[in-house]
Amino acid sequence: MRQVEVSLTGDAARFQQARAAEPFHHWDLPDGTPWARFYRTATGYLLSFPDLADFEVSADGRRVTCVPVPGISDATIEHLYLNQVLPLALSKRGKLVFHGSAVEIGGGAIAFLGESCRGKSTLAAAFAVNSHRFLTDDGLVLEPAGGVYQALPSHPSLRLWEDSHEKLLGSDIEMAPSLAYTSKARFLAGSRLTHCDAPRPLRTAYFLGDGSAPEVTVRPLTAAETMIAWAKHSFLLDVEDRALIGTHFDRIATLANSMICYELDYPRRFDELDRLLAAVTAHATNLSAVR
Amino acid sequence: MNLDSAFDIPPEVSARKVGEELVMLDLVSGTYFGLDPVGMRLWELLQEGKSLRQVCDTMIEEFDVSRDVLEQDVLALVRDLVDKKLVSPRP
Repeated sequence: MRQVEVSLTGDAARFQQARAAEPFHHWDLPDGTPWARFYRTATGYLLSFPDLADFEVSADGRRVTCVPVPGISDATIEHLYLNQVLPLALSKRGKLVFHGSAVEIGGGAIAFLGESCRGKSTLAAAFAVNSHRFLTDDGLVLEPAGGVYQALPSHPSLRLWEDSHEKLLGSDIEMAPSLAYTSKARFLAGSRLTHCDAPRPLRTAYFLGDGSAPEVTVRPLTAAETMIAWAKHSFLLDVEDRALIGTHFDRIATLANSMICYELDYPRRFDELDRLLAAVTAHATNLSAVR
Repeated sequence: MNLDSAFDIPPEVSARKVGEELVMLDLVSGTYFGLDPVGMRLWELLQEGKSLRQVCDTMIEEFDVSRDVLEQDVLALVRDLVDKKLVSPRP
């Protein structure tokens, strides 16, 4: 991400140790596999990714120290930091950070938010190979500025499942080093997978449905639905920090009031992708300005 | 629960108006709940400490609805809010 408000340092690799205290929060993968454990420490937080790395985050979210597990690659650590730890640290700094991708359309940004496997990265890649540069494939940071929300660019790489990258990128595109924690392939931005490295004003966000729609369906969300959707897709480091959550609640209420957002659902079929891109592009190009 | 019941808003429940609607958040459970303008009016009146009968007395003047339907709707919504721990019956 573009911000330099969080500093990262590294310690020597060592194996993770069992902790006496229970985590105050945890993330699991859809199949139940532990993904991240959140602990409190004397100086802040410890984010433990089993068999990958521990990240110590200062209480104010300004400093992060990484302790990788021996044998874990630098690429894996960098990606974990940029896509998981940094968004969480930024949330502690009061930033608006969401699970979402974003692409550039007509000089503005549109975002796609959804649960894992809903198609955020696939959509970002599909737009990026069709002349709409991507800003991020996850960890969407929004910064209020001058009455709009700027979507900030993130790491210029995309992670895709094999079926998506073969269909979208073909087999002759160069891959970035693989990551230890996912079978998704990673691709660096380039001439075919174009990346936007400057902030763009967010024009709207599409919250992705479950794929049950028989055709491309776009439904405007009410303000309350929009706020709840933003809330559900927020990165929050400390889910027990009531003051911070209250402030976050205020910020996403303002965000929800600022623009009309949409639920987007469509059949998850590659032969429908061109129709989807055309529909979303046309819709995003003809948006009314504000709620 | 009956029409003479009154309710408190737990301290961990926070609410914000967005557009013409209200979104409530339970800071403990992370539960979110949206209310339409009618539900938001009910919430406002509950916050004033009114019983459900007093709530209905006010709302019958403000909305085009029969007393029976209003009371049934108010009771149903408040039961839902109680189940979600967004309001608690006053002891």
